[in-house]
Amino acid sequence: MLEQYIPFVGEETIHELFLISKKLKGLRVLHVNSTYKGGGVAEILHRLVPLMNELEIKTDWKVFKGDEKFFTFTKKLHNLLHIACGHCITSEEIVYYLKTTYENLKEIDTENYDIVFIHDPQPMGLIIKKQPGQKWIWRCHVDTSTPDPQAWDFLENFLNAYDACIFHMPEFVYEKIEIPVYTIRPSIDPLHPKNIELPEEEIQATLTKFGLDPEKPLILQVSRFDRLKDPFGVLEAFKLVKKKYDCQLVLVGSFASDDPEGESVYKELMNLTPDEKDVFVLNLPPDSHREINAFQRGATVVVQKSLKEGFGLVVSEAMWKSKPVVGSNVGGIKRQIVHGVTGYLVNSIEGAAVRIKQLLANKYFREEMGFHAKERVKHRFLIIRHLRDYLILMYKVLNQKNLA
Amino acid sequence: MSNLFIFKSELWVPRYTGIKVYSIKDFIESLKVIDKFSIFYHMYINIFNYHNLPTFYANSISYWFYKNGRILLAEKLSIIDPLDYYDLEDLRNVIVQTLEENYDETWDRKEENPFYFIEAEREIIECGEVANTLEEFIEGVKKSSINSLFYHLVTSRIENKTLINDYSAWLFNVGEAKKAEKISKLDLYTMNLYEIKKKIINILEGE
Repeated sequence: MLEQYIPFVGEETIHELFLISKKLKGLRVLHVNSTYKGGGVAEILHRLVPLMNELEIKTDWKVFKGDEKFFTFTKKLHNLLHIACGHCITSEEIVYYLKTTYENLKEIDTENYDIVFIHDPQPMGLIIKKQPGQKWIWRCHVDTSTPDPQAWDFLENFLNAYDACIFHMPEFVYEKIEIPVYTIRPSIDPLHPKNIELPEEEIQATLTKFGLDPEKPLILQVSRFDRLKDPFGVLEAFKLVKKKYDCQLVLVGSFASDDPEGESVYKELMNLTPDEKDVFVLNLPPDSHREINAFQRGATVVVQKSLKEGFGLVVSEAMWKSKPVVGSNVGGIKRQIVHGVTGYLVNSIEGAAVRIKQLLANKYFREEMGFHAKERVKHRFLIIRHLRDYLILMYKVLNQKNLA
Repeated sequence: MSNLFIFKSELWVPRYTGIKVYSIKDFIESLKVIDKFSIFYHMYINIFNYHNLPTFYANSISYWFYKNGRILLAEKLSIIDPLDYYDLEDLRNVIVQTLEENYDETWDRKEENPFYFIEAEREIIECGEVANTLEEFIEGVKKSSINSLFYHLVTSRIENKTLINDYSAWLFNVGEAKKAEKISKLDLYTMNLYEIKKKIINILEGE
């Protein structure tokens, strides 16, 4: 499978992966997260685990199981790690977390591995089974820079037993962490259906299928129907742009049947745009990867106007398709867009409108920025770089053992 | 003396030092004590992350000053060529001195964007290619990744404590002084490493 990445990153880069993996040959590695399906973590593991095996690092992936009560608590914990909001963690919740952890310990064999990667807080308690000589690494996908103190204390009980932790970027790191902290950016997979090249006819057919005019400039935001993604702000920016530019707006995302907020945001948007023939609010099934890919490739300008964002890899997905992105100056968006080079970082609806207009008006800008956007993703945000970072990290963490 | 050239490459993973500063004053104080491989990351490696982009400044320290509207300091620091140094302590001193000479304490304020000191945990690997002759050397360079170029042109000089890059040193050694000098004069931080690779191959294959 690795050779399929050669067209994107070059033969030399793949060769280097084999060279570094020689130092790790025979190593047994385990990844544990809490779902096989859905979400960025599962998506990346689906590809990363077979790639590591191809490099002769015996790698398994196991899923931590919990019931609704457990995941309600870990969702609350996730929110509290993100921002202090006054909710308390109860003793009952702690007991239930530990009970679920012990149940999983019976199912998940962690002992026969040299390195164990634990993703996010749900399976974090498995560390109590850590064996001498093992290295455990906590991979955090959450912004914990300003956590609720009680939530952090809960986490810290486990965290200090780990050998290292990984965050997407230093902005997400709580300053009181005592173990080594590595910063490894997440990545996109160029072979995933949402990122592969598409025939021009398929792009045109997709736009037409949803009633868009393929000849008219298209402004696009791909995101969940969530107020924090600010689709209403995008709509306002579009109205400012529309005064001078004949263009169309697509807000595309999905909401599940058990997502009442998503449905309400979607309906609100629909109600705001009944007579806007150039505004398309599209709720697509979550596996509409090729359609989203087609929208991104058919777009003239891509927008990501989130008010708050984790890493926001959808920005890199658009950049990979040579699109300049107008994104909010928040979270991981500011780590992906290089302002004025691969797109623009904005702080307001007006700022977004101005930059969208500049890009609509200047084909040269769009092409130049689109070119640099793709180059940036090629070097910084593809899965091969992610894999390489993990390999070096494993080697370094194992080396710490030798030094000790 | 052996004419053997061993092609190597450099990979790294970023490690956060836990030091985050909001003001120029704190930046200078931290810079004085930070691990030298943090300076290495911000002055040498981080530009590699942007090497293919037409960014405004050649290192991430200058870029931080620029982002916070400290254009004068950004300019003063951006002209420092890290390739003029092989000792990271010398480079540290020059940056600190430049800042102290050009910084007015009345400017001190909490900047909008903090600076996060990162350090590089590096690993040098052998690529499995060696050269004894110019022909083998050219083939080796052609097969080299940009990481390998980065190692031989930039960071091996720090390892070997010399201002001369590995390619030029080997070329001098085999009597190819003109080619060696031409490669030495390439301005690495104004081009991307793919362009530099092409230029080097042209120089090597030239008369």
